[in-house]
Amino acid sequence: MQQPLAQDGRIEISTVDGLDYAVTVRIEQLQLEQDTGKSLHDVYPGLTLQDLNRAGTGLMEIVTKPDMRSSKEAGILVKKLQALLRAVDSSDGNMEEGSMRCDVNVSVHEPGTPYGARCELKNLNSIKSVVDAIDAEVERQISCHENNTPVIQETRGFDASTGKTFRIRSKESAPDYRYMPEPDLPRLVLSQNEIQTLKQSLPELPDAQRDRIMQSYQLGVIETRTLMGEDGMVKYFESLMSSGRQTKSVISWYVWDACIGMTIHELLGRLHARGINFSPDVVNTSQLGSLVDCVDRGLISAKVGKSVLDLMIDGDSRDANAIVEEKGWKQMDNRDELDQLCDTILEKFPEKVKVVQGGNIGVLGFFIGEIMKQSKGRANPVILNELLRAKVGLPLAPTGATGKEKGRKKK
Amino acid sequence: MRVDLFGFRKFREALESISKYNKYVNAFVDVADPQTIRDQAEESARRWESGQTKSPLDGAIFGYKMNLCTKELRTTCGSNMLNNFKSPYTATAVELLQEAGAITGGKLNMDEFGMGSHNVFSNVGPVRNPHGILDRAPESFDNVEDRSAGGSSGGSAAAVASKMCFAALGSDTGGSVRLPASYCGVVGFKPSYGRISRWGLVAYGSSLDTVGTLTRTVDDAKTIFDIISKEDEKDSTCLTQRQRDAIAKALKDFSDKEAKLHEDSIRNDPRPLSGVRIGIPQEFNIAELSPATKELWKRGIRVLKDAGAKVVPVSIPTTPLTVGAYLTLGTAEASSNLQRYDGIRYGHQSDVPDEKDELYIHTRSEGFGKEVRRRILLGTYVLTSGSFNNFFLRAQKIRQMVRNDFDRVFAQPNAITGSYSPIEDRIQSDRVHALLTPVAVETAPKLEDVFGDHIDPITAYLDDILTIPPSLAGLPAMSVPFAKGLDDNFPIGLQVISQYGDEEMVFKVGRVLEKSRESM
Repeated sequence: MQQPLAQDGRIEISTVDGLDYAVTVRIEQLQLEQDTGKSLHDVYPGLTLQDLNRAGTGLMEIVTKPDMRSSKEAGILVKKLQALLRAVDSSDGNMEEGSMRCDVNVSVHEPGTPYGARCELKNLNSIKSVVDAIDAEVERQISCHENNTPVIQETRGFDASTGKTFRIRSKESAPDYRYMPEPDLPRLVLSQNEIQTLKQSLPELPDAQRDRIMQSYQLGVIETRTLMGEDGMVKYFESLMSSGRQTKSVISWYVWDACIGMTIHELLGRLHARGINFSPDVVNTSQLGSLVDCVDRGLISAKVGKSVLDLMIDGDSRDANAIVEEKGWKQMDNRDELDQLCDTILEKFPEKVKVVQGGNIGVLGFFIGEIMKQSKGRANPVILNELLRAKVGLPLAPTGATGKEKGRKKK
Repeated sequence: MRVDLFGFRKFREALESISKYNKYVNAFVDVADPQTIRDQAEESARRWESGQTKSPLDGAIFGYKMNLCTKELRTTCGSNMLNNFKSPYTATAVELLQEAGAITGGKLNMDEFGMGSHNVFSNVGPVRNPHGILDRAPESFDNVEDRSAGGSSGGSAAAVASKMCFAALGSDTGGSVRLPASYCGVVGFKPSYGRISRWGLVAYGSSLDTVGTLTRTVDDAKTIFDIISKEDEKDSTCLTQRQRDAIAKALKDFSDKEAKLHEDSIRNDPRPLSGVRIGIPQEFNIAELSPATKELWKRGIRVLKDAGAKVVPVSIPTTPLTVGAYLTLGTAEASSNLQRYDGIRYGHQSDVPDEKDELYIHTRSEGFGKEVRRRILLGTYVLTSGSFNNFFLRAQKIRQMVRNDFDRVFAQPNAITGSYSPIEDRIQSDRVHALLTPVAVETAPKLEDVFGDHIDPITAYLDDILTIPPSLAGLPAMSVPFAKGLDDNFPIGLQVISQYGDEEMVFKVGRVLEKSRESM
């Protein structure tokens, strides 16, 4: 008579999610329940406040099978579920505000013995508290076993300040457990047609998006996760990658996305330092695109690029070319000028030249640094590298950009 | 000039009636501040003068049953549990009336949490039927034999009957608006389930509860209904505008086709009910009906026939099962809904020292009256895992059978259950547009016969058999005052029931019955 909305689902977690192996967590069912409201602990120390604003309205409960074996797996699963719910726009997934809440059943047992009694940990309101509460509860149950005290099936809470779980109440016995179809949640009749329409209107789900991004842009797991971790970032990134930029050759593609990736990384770092949340509007894609183009074409160095980015974040809405032009930050490409700069510096530090020639190539960086200082960061690093090496008598080595590309490929 | 339609004269009349009758009738528990009422009435009078009224109800004095939340006065639900409870918000239905210019006169007595049929289970004592005293001098009230006002919306019905207010809102779970309306001689209307938002109506049986109206005329009921029957996102069981449009369209398509088929005969018959078929459900002719009530029912049939209706016998075979199903579902939902009164969140909290986690026990034993405790225990029992299948699930099945029974009898399609047989079949057959039944087995009983420890609750529950079937099916139903009892001169009403969503049919038939009373 009463049917859950869905049954027999699964969520896969694996290395791409930050686990060292792969686990399939089965979803038993997805059902509608009535929200009872929520408790807010310690807003005023020692007091528990009740927020009944949602009491009586519907909430979706997602029940997994007992397929997780560690707090890490549980934490990753919750995170993944959160991303999934956000992607389909069914919840903002905000645990701190109670839009997503988590109850965890924990039991321990020795290999080869049946599952131990389980305790339900209620109202965990962050992924961190999910992980911490499980660890604390596992520890408690193990010490119960070691002290030969039985683990009693009960409902427990987690106190983040002590890092311990505490008993709330004993689990209801059968006479207490009275289930009733909730009349305040009217029957939800979904026609095959509606289900089909919903299916077709589903956005790209996180797993599919991750695979696609990694493949089409040859990105690594970490970079992909960075992109997917910010609301609206994937779209932002992809719009940077469009605008005719895909027509580049494969090799320069690598350079390209490394460049964009770095730029995005710089952008996020700077926003974070300023306490601003990412939004595609802070520095819009055409601005950032112009910056990427300037760096890639060698018009400016990556270092100058960072200064341009700073200006953009602080409100300069012009594109990179205009900023570079006005500031006179255009890169020094003139070989003669650079040649002279090199000579001046090399003459100034004859001992260090000897060190380099003696085989300590690292000191080359010192000269580059000095010349950059002199040129206010405008010296073209590729030409500079080439000139310096020739002058001290070293063979030409790969540039920084290609080095990074190798590093990424190894993963 | 319609200046004084409500505002100025009526507010005085209401306050006078309250001061004259309320001590005896015990309908109003809390009366709003008279100065506030007066100020609002003056403002309303100015709006009437300048032609800027908010609605036809602008300035009318309303009473609200104690289980409808209002920010201003207490919302006690007739219970010690909530004796000092003031709601932080106002019920949607009340709010809509206030926006339409209605003036809150006060809050009305009721059976505790809506559980009762005679308004005797109240923390402030029973409501007394006003009909024994209306023509008498206050000094002689003591000599009157007290009669039941009906319940659970007894305060609402009695207040309207004694003109303490223009109209009142009540709530109807299994007959709580219609039964007191019949006893007190007013119009008691319960619309289809889901028509009026239940936001702010303190829950008893959520799948059965409806807000209902108590008025002096059928037209007043319609005027109020048109204002408060509205989509409300705060109640997920309240019909959305889209659903309302779909229901209206299904009914209109049906009546258009029907009108076309019967075009000639209807055009030549100007009577109000020409083309309307009325069913008389045989199972409502129960042994307990008093001979006088039966006689009035027959008279009602004649009135409808004279108005052009075709009257046919119909059958709702599940009728005898409905009381059991209603009690099972209603008490189960009540036991769940009333869990919230634990002394922690709001309402009464026991002073007994809480030594062994017994705060809940003491709080609930002290706060709830006898009938509420009885129904909570019944409901708890039927939901216990051992009896769930035997009681609760069976009751739900019976409920579905009752819906099917009604769908088989009515000509109109049921837009909610999706009962659609070809329209032509429905029109040709003997399917009916409305049903006519009694509301109560007799006129208002003596208070001493329904109040006290000698009363067998099971027999008392059986009295509701005439009002429960439409509640289980969620259908619109109205108790229309039809006549004075042949033996005792107390009022008695007849019940008009129609298909889900067809309130207009109920109004239409109700008006004919009402008119016949005037001419009698």
